[in-house]
Amino acid sequence: MSSTTAPPRTDPTPPAGRGPGRRRRADRPDRAALGLMVPALVPVLLFSVAPLIYGVYLAFTDARSGRNVDAEFVGVENFVELLGDGDFWASFQIGLVWAVGVTVLQFAAGMGLALLLNQDLRLRWLARTLAMVPWAMPPVIIGLMWKLVYHPNAGILNATLRDAGLIADNIDWLNDFSVALPAIIVVGVWTGMPQTTIVLLAGLQGVPRELHEAAHVDGAGAWRRFRSVTLPQLRPVIVTITSLNFVWNMNEFALVWVLTQGGPGGRTRLPMLYAYEEAFRYGFFGYAAAMGVAIVLVVLAVLAVYLRRQLKETE
Amino acid sequence: MRRSTLTLPAIALTGALALTACGSGADDGPVTLRFLSLAWQTDSVEANERLVAEWNEAHPDVQVEYVQGSWDNVNDQLMTGFEAGDPPDIIHNDSPALADFAGRGYLADLTEYLPEDLKSDIRPEAWETATFDDQIVGVPFLQESQVFIANRKLLEEAEVRIPTPDDPWTWDEFAEASEKLTDDDTYAVAWPLGSPVNRVLNLSLNYGGTFFEVDGEGRASAKMGDAELEVLRRIHDQLYTDETADPATVGMSGSDPLPAFFAEEYAMVQTGVYARQQVAEQAPDDFDWVTIPPLVGDTAEQGATSQTLSVAADSANPEQAAEFISFFLNAENQVDLALGDWLVPTSQEAAAAPELNTEENDWHVATASAEDLVFAPYLRVQGFDEWKTRVAQPALEEYFNDRISLEELSERLETEGDDVLSRYN
Repeated sequence: MSSTTAPPRTDPTPPAGRGPGRRRRADRPDRAALGLMVPALVPVLLFSVAPLIYGVYLAFTDARSGRNVDAEFVGVENFVELLGDGDFWASFQIGLVWAVGVTVLQFAAGMGLALLLNQDLRLRWLARTLAMVPWAMPPVIIGLMWKLVYHPNAGILNATLRDAGLIADNIDWLNDFSVALPAIIVVGVWTGMPQTTIVLLAGLQGVPRELHEAAHVDGAGAWRRFRSVTLPQLRPVIVTITSLNFVWNMNEFALVWVLTQGGPGGRTRLPMLYAYEEAFRYGFFGYAAAMGVAIVLVVLAVLAVYLRRQLKETE
Repeated sequence: MRRSTLTLPAIALTGALALTACGSGADDGPVTLRFLSLAWQTDSVEANERLVAEWNEAHPDVQVEYVQGSWDNVNDQLMTGFEAGDPPDIIHNDSPALADFAGRGYLADLTEYLPEDLKSDIRPEAWETATFDDQIVGVPFLQESQVFIANRKLLEEAEVRIPTPDDPWTWDEFAEASEKLTDDDTYAVAWPLGSPVNRVLNLSLNYGGTFFEVDGEGRASAKMGDAELEVLRRIHDQLYTDETADPATVGMSGSDPLPAFFAEEYAMVQTGVYARQQVAEQAPDDFDWVTIPPLVGDTAEQGATSQTLSVAADSANPEQAAEFISFFLNAENQVDLALGDWLVPTSQEAAAAPELNTEENDWHVATASAEDLVFAPYLRVQGFDEWKTRVAQPALEEYFNDRISLEELSERLETEGDDVLSRYN
């Protein structure tokens, strides 16, 4: 709890040669502000920072399940083993296909929907509300629902396709080696579309009308106006939502767990599912924690590259 | 105001204390035991709840609380419960899960708590499925044997001999009969192989296939020889060489093929004895079915897994928990439990009960099959669960989908298998 009394210890001497006294006063939180901050800070430290540090620490131990099992510090052994773990990298590859696939499709579909909902349509309020529905559903419920949709004998998808004469035999969507991953990607897109749509819609409403009108006067068609006015104006919003989506999708668990549990034969085993299995099924906590750390690092690296490029282009 | 800084930790502390209090069970007042049950069929849940109520009435100072669990996630749930130090006192599970849990010290040794009559009533082969390092870590009570359920009319039309427990089919006879039963619109067999590992391992004992070698120090390694491959090859032959089994059923599990079976698309469905219930309840009224007793290879022996009741090592009252188990699994109650789940009891006295030997719903075939149920060596293997889900399940799926050859399968089960097992040695 020493951290709660820390602020008075912050360096009271101003940086040499800078800052008049007036500013110094404003920089230092007074006691009242401190009192207000502590209740918010304690839970963050207790429930967010502490578990995080503990998780990272576990990654450097050989912690495993068992009564009276002592975990020993093993340095980077887990990470060395992880480098040579073909199954993990296979799962990582699946995770990337999933995360990139879902993010790109979510963006494309969300953009289309947002443009549509930005038009002056009749019953727009209803359409906007309906578009939000998937957002209101917990991932487990979505998983169960789509499991029924994909059910090989009783699912509405096979029934529809059969009635339309598109397939002759029922397809077991979630158990077929080649279609299971695309099938769950569709569910992922469906689930994540509302967030993407609403954020893009908010962005679209911030695009000044005058720009469109000016472009229109200059003779730009709809497509040209979209490319040269809407997209550049939306860029910060797009960068934000796609990077957030990527992180969320990479870390997706509940939805896929309910749909396939990582099957068939590991074809939909996202890295998070793999880490979960490793920890809570087989009991190798240390190794699983190392996987978590590795996933975070890779996601951060991917994001850093992406964000850097996007922000550079904006400048 | 100091209060704001102190409240939250105080709440957290109170919560922790409250949890500890729940876990240890109060010394004064009645003992409360939590019983995690996985019963799911209506009759079986009813029997479970009734027995718990009976016990609670007779034992006011040892109260049992019925907690409903699910087979789907029981091992994940237990793992977190054990690690948190707050598992249920009495745990319903099945024997393949016990080796890992026992190896990690989560399960109490019940040897000294169990009464002699229970020990002698349950078949020794069944005890073996729940005994590790001479410690009894679970009481086995229900077992399943692998049978076929057949359409009697189709068998008679094809002039195939209908086997009985005294005169069962050999695998060769089964293959011949399958040829006769297959025609343009009927496959002889539906093999639902959605989760094939335990079943294939259990059936492989017909030819002495054990799949693992366990050395003196308990280290297991995968072993693949002719004996292990025999049943695998025969099933694959039916699917792709003889074409007497429908490849479309390979991805199915348990009772999925039943609707097509009722529609006479299949003459036989491979399944556990429990599936008789669904057949009895769901088949059309004029549907005449018969249970084909377990097939015979070199022997009629099948590996068996058992449903078990265990006590958590962290339980504060292992003695009372064991007492409850002894009551719950006495011969009389096992009859009810067996009837509720349509499985075979491990109690010899229960197996002799008239209800379990009538010809109605082929109970006599099911009960007779228990005699050939033996202990399967894979139950002793620590890391079996990971071997099964990481290695065997995907490899068998690919093999039964005709994507890899028998040699490749054998190679994968052995090398990838040893990789997995080495983590546990």
